[in-house]
Amino acid sequence: MRMSPRAVTRFLGMRLIHSAVVLFGVMVVTFALIQLVPGDPVRLALGTRYTQESYDALMAASGLDRPMGEQFFAYIGSAATGDLGVSFRSGQPVTVLLFERLPATLSLAGAGLLIGLLIAVPAGLWAALREGRLADGVVRITSQFGVSIPDFWMGMLLILVFSTGLGWLPSSGYIPISESPGGWLRQVTLPAITVGTVAGAILTRYVRAATLEVANMGYVRTAKSKGLAPSVVTLRHIARNALVPVLTVAGIQLATILSGVIVVEVVFAWPGLGRLVFDSVASRDYPMIQGAVLLIAVMFLLINFIVDVLYAVVDPRIRLA
Amino acid sequence: MTKVPKSAVASLALLSLAACSTGESVDLDGSADEVDSAVLRAAIGGEPDQLDPHRTSAYFSFQVLENIFDTLVEPDENLEMQPALAESWELSDDQLTWTFHLRDDVSFHDGSDFMSDDVVYSYERIINEELANAWRFDAVESVEALDDYTVEITVSAPTPNLLSNLGGFKGMAIVSEENVESGDISSNPVGTGPFLLSSYTSGDQIALEANPDHWSGSPELAGVEFSFISEPSTAMAALTSGEVDWTDNIPPQQVEDLVDSDSLEVEVIPSNDYWYLAMNINEEPWDDARVRQAIAYAVDREAIIQAVSYGTAQENQLAVPEESIWYTEYDQYANDPDEAERLLDEAGFSGGSIEFLATNEYPETVTAAQIIADNLEPLGFDVSISQPDFSTWLDEQNSGNFDMLMMGWLGNIDPDDFYYAQHHSDGGSNAQGYVNDDVDALLEAGRTETDESNRADLYSEAAQIIADEASYVYLYNPAVIQGWVPEVGAYQVRSDAAIRFRDTTLEE
Repeated sequence: MRMSPRAVTRFLGMRLIHSAVVLFGVMVVTFALIQLVPGDPVRLALGTRYTQESYDALMAASGLDRPMGEQFFAYIGSAATGDLGVSFRSGQPVTVLLFERLPATLSLAGAGLLIGLLIAVPAGLWAALREGRLADGVVRITSQFGVSIPDFWMGMLLILVFSTGLGWLPSSGYIPISESPGGWLRQVTLPAITVGTVAGAILTRYVRAATLEVANMGYVRTAKSKGLAPSVVTLRHIARNALVPVLTVAGIQLATILSGVIVVEVVFAWPGLGRLVFDSVASRDYPMIQGAVLLIAVMFLLINFIVDVLYAVVDPRIRLA
Repeated sequence: MTKVPKSAVASLALLSLAACSTGESVDLDGSADEVDSAVLRAAIGGEPDQLDPHRTSAYFSFQVLENIFDTLVEPDENLEMQPALAESWELSDDQLTWTFHLRDDVSFHDGSDFMSDDVVYSYERIINEELANAWRFDAVESVEALDDYTVEITVSAPTPNLLSNLGGFKGMAIVSEENVESGDISSNPVGTGPFLLSSYTSGDQIALEANPDHWSGSPELAGVEFSFISEPSTAMAALTSGEVDWTDNIPPQQVEDLVDSDSLEVEVIPSNDYWYLAMNINEEPWDDARVRQAIAYAVDREAIIQAVSYGTAQENQLAVPEESIWYTEYDQYANDPDEAERLLDEAGFSGGSIEFLATNEYPETVTAAQIIADNLEPLGFDVSISQPDFSTWLDEQNSGNFDMLMMGWLGNIDPDDFYYAQHHSDGGSNAQGYVNDDVDALLEAGRTETDESNRADLYSEAAQIIADEASYVYLYNPAVIQGWVPEVGAYQVRSDAAIRFRDTTLEE
């Protein structure tokens, strides 16, 4: 470690304050947006015919009869202590429901990012080292396609080929990794490829760009002119340095995947946060939506923080400030 | 309120009692049973919001709860009420006191005995806590346990539809007080039904296992696993690749091909739900029945059905389909633009601009509105379609702020439920403002007539006047579409869309 303990403390302190401000903002915006979305959760929950008394009873039970400001401050107050309220739909605590769903989403996002990196690092390096040649063109065009593929279409295509067609892999369902790693792997493969394709295509472009930048640096020319083997130059001098910016992008990709797997989870019936949000929006389950958005925001901040720290660890030129 | 989300519909019924009691092939030691019974894997289109039958209104919940809970009486495949937890009942001469005799051999899944106190507790819970179904007890004055196995319900006026209110769907299930008080009912319900909950994985699946002691006999299946697959194409892929045995989440555009397929059984039957068009009779020109009839002739039902359901729905000019005991044959309004034109001329009306109230919450209303606008254009109508959210829609409807609207009425069992509120001059959902003394008299008579066949005649007569005068222009009954692998046997698709697996078999 090249930093003084004081610098580290100051860095952490600033980040903490910064994060708290961001989270407060997220809560305000989520709360306000939800109120703007048309649809009355109580009416939706009662569904069929009902009496005014039933309506009033449920309004009171869910706290929606209180003034807006009071609702907001009650929400902020309890959220600060880790209590995110009770879901309108299920009557269960929001935190319990969120943490039930989190492992499925984390494992899908992790597997998806891994596949993305397995595609992006070799493809990006290869394209950059052959800049302007056929290989580069192929990678650039393919990645452009990859970025544009809709998740939904990709998922359906994989199901048609590998589930209904070849019968190799299941089309839907989930087995926790803790229960059966092999079962989990079978279940996660198709959704992870769906997630990983788009992430891989985006990352490929970053890897290629970063590699090109590094490859034109003076020290690489020096290394080459010293007569080092090309493989040593590629791995030790180019790849290692090029991967530093890629780390940041990969972190952001992971956060993006975590908040954006709704479609993939719906297509593959994957019991993650995305489907929970999907169902909650449909029933205007305010506490559930607020809780899920808050959790995703926390994960986003956490990942950014980890990336920043790793960044400093990997690259000595970067100072925490 | 006019519309009932799909949710409301979930009732179920059981095949006839006779059929149930033949299901007692279980051996008493239970060991041989495991060899030849299998677990049925069913894919449903979404996750139950919760499993408390009195608090949920979600159709996905009732798909599961149908198999866990029982009601006092239950609808058979024709939606006629049959004995369930009550094996018989009597009605007093003044029609104000119903006495139910309960089965004395029923226990809850936790082993406790089912008795009349459970019925009283369940109904009082719905009434006193003002739960969503409290309106079904509007006519009920008291629910009392006379002894351990006798319950007496008194009503303030003759109520021939009491049975369908008590048994029409599992929202009126008999629950266990202990299960409710412990708070477990929302995630771990204890019922008296043919299956009991064995596990629940949030977001993924609910597993049930057979209740060998069910009063209708032990189910043939060892259990049922419900998985939640909201994307129809995925559910279909799971069915074709053998990952599930049964699903009701089938893309309607594939139905035509699937019905002819040898590798899957797919059945399409009209449901008891209906969708209709109504015009604002309180305003000109809709106060003239001839103008409303002209619209009824001008509307192309066939085109609407194609557009909203890929042709799976069934055209109907009255409320309920042929399969219902309340069906009346009626086909006054063939699609006939010339007749429409003639009626408009007769009424001295030459068109104009009209406001069609649809809602984006029920996309079929928007799709159909576009076709209807097209149908009416040659007659000189310029139709503008508004599509607010459903809360706004209800407000607009109730304040009479529309020329024309389309909506559905779901979960129809008893004709009092689907004629009185909408077409009686005092009806709570008569937003179109229809008034006809003859219809009022018929609907009032229907409320107190206990002879079933006389009652059917009353409603048949009322229904024809309602359609003749176009209080509603009935359009179609949407389909119930379900599919399963050929190994599944003794399963019946029901017009109330209830999913009842208690007699179903599965070959390994």
